[in-house]
Amino acid sequence: MGTDGDGRLSQFRKGVVELAILALLHRGEAYGGEIVDRLGEHPGLAISAGTVYPLLSRLKKAGVIDSAWRESPVGPPRKYYRLSQMGAAEFEEMARAWDGVTAAMDQLLGKEQAL
Amino acid sequence: MNAPERQPVSALTPEAAALVETYFTRVHGALLVSAAGECEEAMLDLRAYVMEELSGGAGTPADVTRVLSGLGSPEALAAQYSATTPGSDDPGRLPGSDSGRLYGRVLGMPYDVRVPDSGRIASRWWNPLDPRVFVPRVFGLGWDVNFGSLAVKLRLVRPDDEDEPFAAVPDRVVTATLLLPLVLAGVLAALVAITWTGLPPSLPAHWNAVGVADQFWDGSALVAFLALMSLAPLLFAGWVHSRRRAALNRVAASALATLMATLALTQYVQALFYIGGERGIVPTFAGLALGLLLPFVLFVVISRIGRAAEQRRDLDGSKKRRSM
Repeated sequence: MGTDGDGRLSQFRKGVVELAILALLHRGEAYGGEIVDRLGEHPGLAISAGTVYPLLSRLKKAGVIDSAWRESPVGPPRKYYRLSQMGAAEFEEMARAWDGVTAAMDQLLGKEQAL
Repeated sequence: MNAPERQPVSALTPEAAALVETYFTRVHGALLVSAAGECEEAMLDLRAYVMEELSGGAGTPADVTRVLSGLGSPEALAAQYSATTPGSDDPGRLPGSDSGRLYGRVLGMPYDVRVPDSGRIASRWWNPLDPRVFVPRVFGLGWDVNFGSLAVKLRLVRPDDEDEPFAAVPDRVVTATLLLPLVLAGVLAALVAITWTGLPPSLPAHWNAVGVADQFWDGSALVAFLALMSLAPLLFAGWVHSRRRAALNRVAASALATLMATLALTQYVQALFYIGGERGIVPTFAGLALGLLLPFVLFVVISRIGRAAEQRRDLDGSKKRRSM
């Protein structure tokens, strides 16, 4: 894929990764490095720490997530993130919207393949 | 693009901070819609500008509304930014400005000729969320070091160690950062006082690559220049501190004053080195290294103090809740 294609893919991924982070935190709190690692387990979502941390910062400033330092069973304390009440509501809304988008895209892409 | 980051909003009331966040979130959303691409630098600068404007007031919602109204609606602003992103006809033109191309790139190298302010210095020199170690220079052509990214790469801090850089650092510690450039300026003054009577009328002011002086200045003129080089940034830092700017801006101003005082001291030591019959530019290299090391250490130490303060707040709070 050319440079332009890579850039488009990167932009596409950045848009999706916000919902992915909310989905991860909907399952339970996690610290920054853990979020990066868990996203990395999904090749389609693998995105660098340099993108994840600014996103976490923005989500926190927007009141979508909260953070607090916690003692860690191993090593030094870590900063854990979790969904705020507003974030939980936003996640539900985004997840519903995502279902609609994926259903429509599946249909469109399926139609393309059938041609 | 990444969202606009930085600039502490802790000095604002919660309602005012929410207004600022809502505004930038709307700009961000509008930029995504317009597919403006990467314009993080511009957004950082804009946020720094807004915080700089707000820092002199009480930080109320009315103040925020007044400052933001000067920028226009988020959608209109985003449209202006979209029109000025790289690849457009007019890169680097400030929104609402008639002053032309004040920042951008020439032959692939970034330039910025806007008057520097403490917010822009701060957002370029300490941004641990930005993975780039070299960022466009605050003023002039080329790059500056993002000490925050460097500290992350050296594993001295983590990108999210602090919610807002230095916001949790006690005020007296932030003020105390001024001591570092003050001490360096004092060392320069003491050195001049001790060595002045034994100096020749003209002093070396520039050296070639092999350490031979190729330019000489009148001694008084050189000392006056070095005093100015050391004191002007110190006065600027004092002004930033006295105006109660955001903690990050204040520490960045102290770091700038530290760098300039170190360079002035380096120049004088190099001159003494030459007059003493030594050759080479070892003092210059040592001084340049120290000029980068001292601000770096300053930023890292203050960041760690901030992180420790946040940890005390959260960990002590959770211990208290458990014991209740």
